[in-house]
Amino acid sequence: MLNETTMIKDKAAPTENVSDPAWVRIRDLIYQVSGIYQTENKFYLLVGRANRRMKEVGARTPREYLDFLTARANRDVEMRNLLNEITIGETCLFRSMPQIEALRKVVIPAMTEAKKKISFTKLRFWSAGCSTGEESYTLAMMLLEETQTNLKGWTFEVVATDLNDRSVAKAQEGVYNDYAVRNVPPDYMGKYFSKVGSEYRVADSVRSHITFSRLNMLDDSKMLFMRGLDVIFCCNVLIYFDAKSKTRTIQHYYNALVPNGYFFLGQSESLYGISEKFHLVHFPGTTAYWKPGEGALKAGTP
Amino acid sequence: MTTTGIDRLRAKISNIDAMPTIPVILRPLLHCLDQPAEDIDVDRIVELISHDKSITAQCLRMANSALFIRKMPAETVRSAVMSLGMWRVRDLLFSNSLSKIIPANRWVVDPEVFWRHSLSVALVSRKFAEMIDYPDPEKAYLAGLLHDIGTLVHCMVAPEEFRAAMEKASREHIPLDEAEQQLMGFTHSDSGRVLADAWKVPPDIADAIELHHRVADPERGGPLVALVNLCDLLCRMRDLGYGYVEYRQVDFANEPGWMCLVLKFPGMAQIDLARFTFSLDEYAREVSDLVASVFAG
Repeated sequence: MLNETTMIKDKAAPTENVSDPAWVRIRDLIYQVSGIYQTENKFYLLVGRANRRMKEVGARTPREYLDFLTARANRDVEMRNLLNEITIGETCLFRSMPQIEALRKVVIPAMTEAKKKISFTKLRFWSAGCSTGEESYTLAMMLLEETQTNLKGWTFEVVATDLNDRSVAKAQEGVYNDYAVRNVPPDYMGKYFSKVGSEYRVADSVRSHITFSRLNMLDDSKMLFMRGLDVIFCCNVLIYFDAKSKTRTIQHYYNALVPNGYFFLGQSESLYGISEKFHLVHFPGTTAYWKPGEGALKAGTP
Repeated sequence: MTTTGIDRLRAKISNIDAMPTIPVILRPLLHCLDQPAEDIDVDRIVELISHDKSITAQCLRMANSALFIRKMPAETVRSAVMSLGMWRVRDLLFSNSLSKIIPANRWVVDPEVFWRHSLSVALVSRKFAEMIDYPDPEKAYLAGLLHDIGTLVHCMVAPEEFRAAMEKASREHIPLDEAEQQLMGFTHSDSGRVLADAWKVPPDIADAIELHHRVADPERGGPLVALVNLCDLLCRMRDLGYGYVEYRQVDFANEPGWMCLVLKFPGMAQIDLARFTFSLDEYAREVSDLVASVFAG
């Protein structure tokens, strides 16, 4: 299963450039700093993005650029710039089907089975670092669909937060272009979108389940109020934090989740070296982190 | 396996003509390659390859493919072997000879899917073995490659029941061995054991074939069994399985195989499994190229 951290539009860089061993070191450095892993068969994407930065700073070879990332005085700034370039605004609805399928086929059935026993029929999801709302609406549509089929009588809410006011405002608009909706299943297109000019507006039936707000994840007092979440999505957000803030934020997420709750990162992001409280779990084509709980559903059960 | 299961399997297999036979080239090859890379006798490998026209053609084609750009085209078996490297030659030889074990019209599973899975588990097992300092990564490779040969027996001796098991597994998104156990009373690990013994496969590899779905057996499963069990599971969770999705959650750190290896290999504690999982996508392409090359010939 391929990751979709970076996207398609980059032109492949010249081959002699792609095969330079310095890219492997740059890849490893990116992983170490951000937890985002670029597989070698997708190096052309990394190279395409990094080449823009190289032009900007005047590095002629990957080896030289590696110096900009490791040895120069403003290396942290350059790493930030590179990470921005790699994760830049490339997001769309239904971006990672393996994650959606893991929720529908494994996570939600097990979760609702357990909750039913205590007569609790509500699901709460948090789209943390929701940017312009694509992920939040995707989750809401998936949950809406589930509550109309397999989970009749259940309710749900999606809490969507971002640090950036403009992103939150854009997310609230819920209007997307062709490119952003290209992965949306056709029947969802018909049901949950209306055409506005050349763009598509998300239906009120979906919106009514989402609350968008501004939230700084480093604001401890605000984070304390986030509790009782079943699933948290936090894709390509942690890369913007230093090691210490990362650990602190992950602790907040951990506390916010119910026992047996799940924490999803971007498709090729990892928590390795950041938190050992969560269990890394595998689903078909994707991974997530699981908060063990008392009377936990035994891991490994289908 | 239940007693009736064993009896039924034995009864079917007693018709020995129906058993897959070990390819002629395989035994000397196994012998030749069962040693450290630097001790492998290249002349002998070249000679073995030269005996087989279709393998010769494949080596040359692969050595001259875009993947291995060279200044001069490889024209001899020797130059092809040097260009590909011993590991790739070995992969090619094994998959080529094993792909001919059963006649083309007897396959119940898609042979390309089968070899994609077997080769993936082989490569991942070797990589995993290296990562945890398991002393014999090549053995891990071989055990991974052969772990599912029981399905070949099923194709030959119980094709209809096996087809039904395969369909059940993919329809219900459950592990193949569960479906086999329910419908046939035995699994590909049971029949794999019978074939491995008939082929005189080294006993530890035969154990891995037999026990890769039953790691929890405390009397028998060793580290090789656990290693193949985990790598098989990893491949199945990463789209390198039997061509269908198993909807389940796997917590590797709590898998019996993992816990078995942790006790013996301290390196396990340092594994960044997330990163290893992501890197499996890099194998997918190498495996696909190799399998495509085998089936093009």
